[in-house]
Amino acid sequence: MSTSLWLAVIASALGTLLMRVVPFLWMQRRLSAREGPNALPGWLAVLGPLMIAAVLGVAIVPVNPSALSWLATALGLTATLLLWRRTRSLGWPVAAGVSVFGAIMLLSQVVITG
Amino acid sequence: MSHRHARINAALRGARDGIPLLGGYVPVSLSFGLVATQAGFSPWEAAVISTLIYAGASQFLFVGMVAAGAPLWLVVALTLLINVRHVVYGPNLATLLPRSRHWPWLMHGLTDQVFALALTRLPVVDERERFGWFLGAALMAWAVWIIGTVVGAVAGEAVTAYWPLLGDIMPFALPALFLTMTAPRFTDRRWSAALTVTVLAAMALSLSGATNVAIPLAAACGALCFYTLRFPAGRCA
Repeated sequence: MSTSLWLAVIASALGTLLMRVVPFLWMQRRLSAREGPNALPGWLAVLGPLMIAAVLGVAIVPVNPSALSWLATALGLTATLLLWRRTRSLGWPVAAGVSVFGAIMLLSQVVITG
Repeated sequence: MSHRHARINAALRGARDGIPLLGGYVPVSLSFGLVATQAGFSPWEAAVISTLIYAGASQFLFVGMVAAGAPLWLVVALTLLINVRHVVYGPNLATLLPRSRHWPWLMHGLTDQVFALALTRLPVVDERERFGWFLGAALMAWAVWIIGTVVGAVAGEAVTAYWPLLGDIMPFALPALFLTMTAPRFTDRRWSAALTVTVLAAMALSLSGATNVAIPLAAACGALCFYTLRFPAGRCA
């Protein structure tokens, strides 16, 4: 890589790091100063869970969208949700979802090729 | 149990909680390594980009724009623009994490996925263990991202040829994980409406090819819904 390209990498890395660090330290300072645990603005507390929901929405779209992958996605998410309602944990529901999704995708490969 | 052992145990718990993230990190980092070498970067240059920038979508944009010959100032500007969403992550976690002089470098690990995991799991982790928990989860995810990039750059084509479904099946761990994180938030009609709007907006934006701006725009749609819709108090969805 050229020197200018290295500088571009460093500028991108530094800018991204500052966007992660500075708001965090700013809020910690507000919390420990005079405003206490209610220092987090209401809109920011709302935006946190919504960002996770947005990441979920982006992640739901299959890598290669097709009727089959959408069906596998729907069934995989259903399995995840059902197990989550029983266990209220992270690991097993995710494993169940991936297993159902993977089984449908593998089965379809066998049917199509076989 | 000594303080040191307690911190190691907390870090191991964080790393264990972060395991579902690997289903997404492994195939995407493999893809990045492959794409970066195809764009003319060497394996170690791809590894340095993954180590320093460590933000999936913007890394793909970075190498793609460089390969296309775009001006470097524009490459940097768009890379940072995509990552602007990270500014709301830190303040949300600040209420959950203790003060430490290590945060300036540890916050480097605050990706979309680590943020979502931390915001969901930290409230159930003992306050004294939260620093160690974040350390374990963030470092494990970062290490896997870098290793995946190197493997993808060196042997990406062979790996995807040997396991053609790797890139199709493993990424499903991410929507499954985020579903388990979002589901507990459906506590009343107002939140249910805002979350549903957000998920649908993100899917629509992603399907229309606007994946890079889907997260902040969809969250903004959800916030608009949250603040404009009014439901009778005390009625569950």
